Amino acid sequence: MHGLVHVLAADTPSDPGGINGTLARWAENFIGLFQEGAKTFTGLVVGIVPLLIVLLTAVNALIRLIGPERIDKIGELAARPGLQYYPIRYLLLPVLSVFFLTNPMAYTMGRFLPENKKPAFYDSAVSFVHPPLGIFPHVNPGEYFVYGGIAAGITTLKLPLGDLAVRYFYVGLLVIFIRGVVTEIITNILIGRRASLEDTPPDDDLDDRPVRPHDNPSGVTA
Amino acid sequence: MTTTASPRRNRTRFDNFNDLLVRVGRGVGGVVGALYQAGRDTIDMVLRNVLPFIAFISFIIGVILKTGIGDWIAHRLSGLADSLPGLLAISIVCAIPIISPLLGPGAVIAQIVGTLLGVQIGRGEVSPQYALPALFAINPQVGCDFIPVGLALGEAEPETVEIGVPAVLFSRLITGPLAVVIAYFASFGLYS
Repeated sequence: MHGLVHVLAADTPSDPGGINGTLARWAENFIGLFQEGAKTFTGLVVGIVPLLIVLLTAVNALIRLIGPERIDKIGELAARPGLQYYPIRYLLLPVLSVFFLTNPMAYTMGRFLPENKKPAFYDSAVSFVHPPLGIFPHVNPGEYFVYGGIAAGITTLKLPLGDLAVRYFYVGLLVIFIRGVVTEIITNILIGRRASLEDTPPDDDLDDRPVRPHDNPSGVTA
Repeated sequence: MTTTASPRRNRTRFDNFNDLLVRVGRGVGGVVGALYQAGRDTIDMVLRNVLPFIAFISFIIGVILKTGIGDWIAHRLSGLADSLPGLLAISIVCAIPIISPLLGPGAVIAQIVGTLLGVQIGRGEVSPQYALPALFAINPQVGCDFIPVGLALGEAEPETVEIGVPAVLFSRLITGPLAVVIAYFASFGLYS
């Protein structure tokens, strides 16, 4: 073995010149490009995929056994006006929707909310599809590397990941709540602006309609 | 035939036992079925979404590391990612209302930048306590490409979509950098 290495090592300095030598070096560099990728591939598949598969299976089974339709009630609760329902609307509902319905289907829970709160709920829910990835990768395994990429660096340093995963989750909770509130405020401002723009033509029956001004079909044309 | 001929009391007791067996069997079958289906869903998901992405990102990383583009990006990125103002700059750029929907699809950009940053953290170019704010800095555009579809899934009216798209995009300009600041303060004591 040692002898072989020695022979190989002795061979390399005597680089064959000419066209063949150049071609050989090109080929080596070309393959090297993909060997580097292959190393990364092996690292990711061995390091992440087995755990991901087992965890996904467990959580998927749990969701099947619990039944995702149970969160509908929370959706109805979240639609109520009033300050005390903000945490339900922009914290509890998005978290449960994302956890049980996962990435694209979580946004269907917005159907329980009034129109002016739907953008805020979407913002809140969609912002929560990455923060749980360290603990619950089932919510969005197709986009795992938003977290997984940075986590891989931490693993390379041989530091524990748990702390990062938990903090990502907690900060995510805070951020989605803020996003929900801020987006709701901005939505209402935009609705107000649109309504005031449409005030120039004699405004119809805005007052006797129970819906929001932008729901007015007459406003669609503007 | 013999069971029908046996006395009624025996039959009810047997029936009770039988009911129990059926119920247990059904319950176990349900659980096992759910587990099995969950496994099937998982493998499907991994094959369809996870492995293709790993293949794609491995290729990109291979090229980036081997060609030296990596060093160039690394210099820019680690200069930015290793301080709060730099991370804020990344998040503000990603949250600009015209850019954010372009960066959104499939979170591809966030995943590539995240992986590159991970490599830099692994090399020690970016200190690990910036991992948490970086997670938010590379991702203020999350879902910005998907607002009309997401709202449609929530059965929103077309007028709501018209208002909702700018509302979410403008909101990100505020909440994107804000999230980085929150994450920065939340990362005190992490890996230090």
